[in-house]
Amino acid sequence: MPITFHIPGALREFTDGHSTVEIEASPATLAGALAALCAQYPGIRDRITTEQGEIRQHINVFIGEENVRYTGRLASRVSDGAEISILPAVSGGR
Amino acid sequence: MIGQVLGHYRVVAKIGEGGMGVVYRAYDEVLHRDVALKVVKKGVALGSSGGQNLLREARASSALSHPNICTIYEVGETDGELYIVMELVEGKTLQSMSAETGLSPDAVLRYGVQIASALGRAHDRGIAHRDLKSANIVVTPEGLVKVLDFGLAKRSGAEAFQGSSQSLATLEEVSSVSGTLAYMAPEIFRGEAADYRSDLWALGVVLYETASGAPPFEGRTGFELSSAILREQPKPLGPPAPPGLWSVIQRCLAKEPAQRYQHAGEVQAALEAVQSGAMTGTGSNADRVARPTTTILHNVRHVRVRKGDFLLLVGTSKGAFILKSNIQRRRWEVGGPYFHGYAIYAAAYDDRAGRHRIWASTQNYWGTLLRSSDDFGKSWTTPQEATIRFPADTGLSLKNIWQIALGRPDEPDSIFCGVEPAALFETSDDGETWSFVRGLFDHPHRPRWMPGNGGLALHTIVLDPQDRQRMYVAISAGGVYRTEDGGNTWTAQNRGIRAVHMPNKYPEFGQCIHKVVMHPARPERLFLQSHWGLYRSDDHAENWKDIANGVPSDFGFAMIMHPRNPDCAYIVPVESDEFRCACDGRLRVYRTRNAGASWEPLMRGLPQKGAYETVLRDALTADSLDPLGIYLGTRSGQVFGSRDEGKSWERILEGLPPVLCVRSTVVADASDPSSRTRPATSRPPSTLRQKSATSGRSGGKKKKR
Repeated sequence: MPITFHIPGALREFTDGHSTVEIEASPATLAGALAALCAQYPGIRDRITTEQGEIRQHINVFIGEENVRYTGRLASRVSDGAEISILPAVSGGR
Repeated sequence: MIGQVLGHYRVVAKIGEGGMGVVYRAYDEVLHRDVALKVVKKGVALGSSGGQNLLREARASSALSHPNICTIYEVGETDGELYIVMELVEGKTLQSMSAETGLSPDAVLRYGVQIASALGRAHDRGIAHRDLKSANIVVTPEGLVKVLDFGLAKRSGAEAFQGSSQSLATLEEVSSVSGTLAYMAPEIFRGEAADYRSDLWALGVVLYETASGAPPFEGRTGFELSSAILREQPKPLGPPAPPGLWSVIQRCLAKEPAQRYQHAGEVQAALEAVQSGAMTGTGSNADRVARPTTTILHNVRHVRVRKGDFLLLVGTSKGAFILKSNIQRRRWEVGGPYFHGYAIYAAAYDDRAGRHRIWASTQNYWGTLLRSSDDFGKSWTTPQEATIRFPADTGLSLKNIWQIALGRPDEPDSIFCGVEPAALFETSDDGETWSFVRGLFDHPHRPRWMPGNGGLALHTIVLDPQDRQRMYVAISAGGVYRTEDGGNTWTAQNRGIRAVHMPNKYPEFGQCIHKVVMHPARPERLFLQSHWGLYRSDDHAENWKDIANGVPSDFGFAMIMHPRNPDCAYIVPVESDEFRCACDGRLRVYRTRNAGASWEPLMRGLPQKGAYETVLRDALTADSLDPLGIYLGTRSGQVFGSRDEGKSWERILEGLPPVLCVRSTVVADASDPSSRTRPATSRPPSTLRQKSATSGRSGGKKKKR
């Protein structure tokens, strides 16, 4: 079962407009899954992670319904057929 | 008059009467057809320039041929009677049809499209209607809209508002004479010139009225009505009006002409989009319409820029805008917003080596990027990978780009960027690759710099135009640092600058500097605005002298230097550290013309009551013209400009998000970069740049793509 990424509108200019992207590889961790996604669509990487390779402060990545911030961040386990959502955090007021 | 013959028109019956005169049904005895014949009141037509204008415009309007415009056949004069012969249109006025309850959204859109189409044709021919109102719009039994009286508006109506004599009497007089007060655009009340966009305002009023049965602005007297038009927002149109229609109306009813649609064709297209359900929630499904909908208008306007145009680049907390004018700088067009939802802390206009490139830093939760446009905003580079990035060994990641400083004129491919966390980056290949300035980062003071309220930012870069090896940077809160060897080594240059937030008030470093400016012809002279304090140095920042002589506050952010007078600098003082608003709610620029011995307030045209404004460090700028033009943007989203070195100011725009930076330029060359020879290092005009290698990661230069 492929892993499916759900791509937010702001990043679709880097995925040829696709709102979902399926990754055929079967990585063990989120880091591996992101690497596979970014190999296909390199523009995604710097939007999600800093140059130090950390998920940006106000970006949330969910595996299923779990926010990876609480499950080991980039080391979070990715199971076969996982659905990964990338979403900006509800933040602001400025 | 009935039975009389004017020219070859026999008057048959009176149809109506308006401010301009009486309208009759008449018979054309030559062409054997029914016509409408308007006999113009003598006071309107004769004895004034208004009469001449009317004649001229009536003739111009007679050239308009459009299915939605009531055709003018002839303008004639017999025995001192001026008359206008028009197509006889039979039907009901939009005013009578929409009274009280308004029409269905479908009808509003159907008629609106036709009105906009008529305006579009007229505007293209250089004719403004000037008196568009629902009583001037007739719908035939077949549903065809006819706009009457194109270009025939009683000019005195508008002229009554020009100049300063805006008395209650004039307002009511005009109101009673022409009945047009409710459709008059704010700029007319403000005494500014009316143009096509005033017609688009009137169209917004007509659409609102047609949709709801009531006008958007009301008042018991002319004065109340004009106040409402100038200051109030109309009550939102709810269902059954679709949100898309409301959006179109809102944009027509923007108080500033520059924020409206700029052409009737755009209104037509927007209304057609709503008709086709393309905009938002406009389907016939009642559930969809009733549900609250977030309207996302990604309509970005572009300005057409030509050689000699004047531009202001305005960065805000929610996007960038390009304001365009000619060298007179009286009327402005607004392009943007570019980069919806991104904060634009830094912008620059690079016209070195024949370029006309706009640079902007964009920052939001997706990261910070440096972007550029070679076509005045129509397209921007979208780097796949951030070009400015901290090397891995620093452990830092880029938070923001605070400053874009172009290199010296003779180094046209050199640019510097000041960033947060405080560091300096430079490119020598026109932004393709950026290198991290290690010399500054490795300074032993760096670990002891303290972030200010805005973060630990390197926000100011000053290059000595005469000495390639010398430059200055300012850091909040680290102080001023200078290099004399091209960036390899740096020294703190803060002697004489107070640090109120430190136990030692005159430390070697740690001062919270807000801005430093240099006079290009006398580079030893610098002025400095600190967190608390105004200073001048006449010795390359070796020593700083307090020059806060006669300012209401020595706290402030913005500071600029007069490009020709080394004794002249400008600041915008703000009150106290905590409050950070213009002193006493009076927005005033202060100028010294004696190198800081004294400062004078410049306030004419700037708000002097309740203006709790802040002008941030890069939101004040000067042009290169003589007399000097100065421009500033405020935290409340207003932009002001002065054409006379600051003596008097005009508001250019309001209603923007908080302004972070303003830059100005006169466009020397606006030609398509692909049509001329590009500098050797210029990149292809692609909008989606692929990987652009950065030297930041490895510490050395990498190849270009």
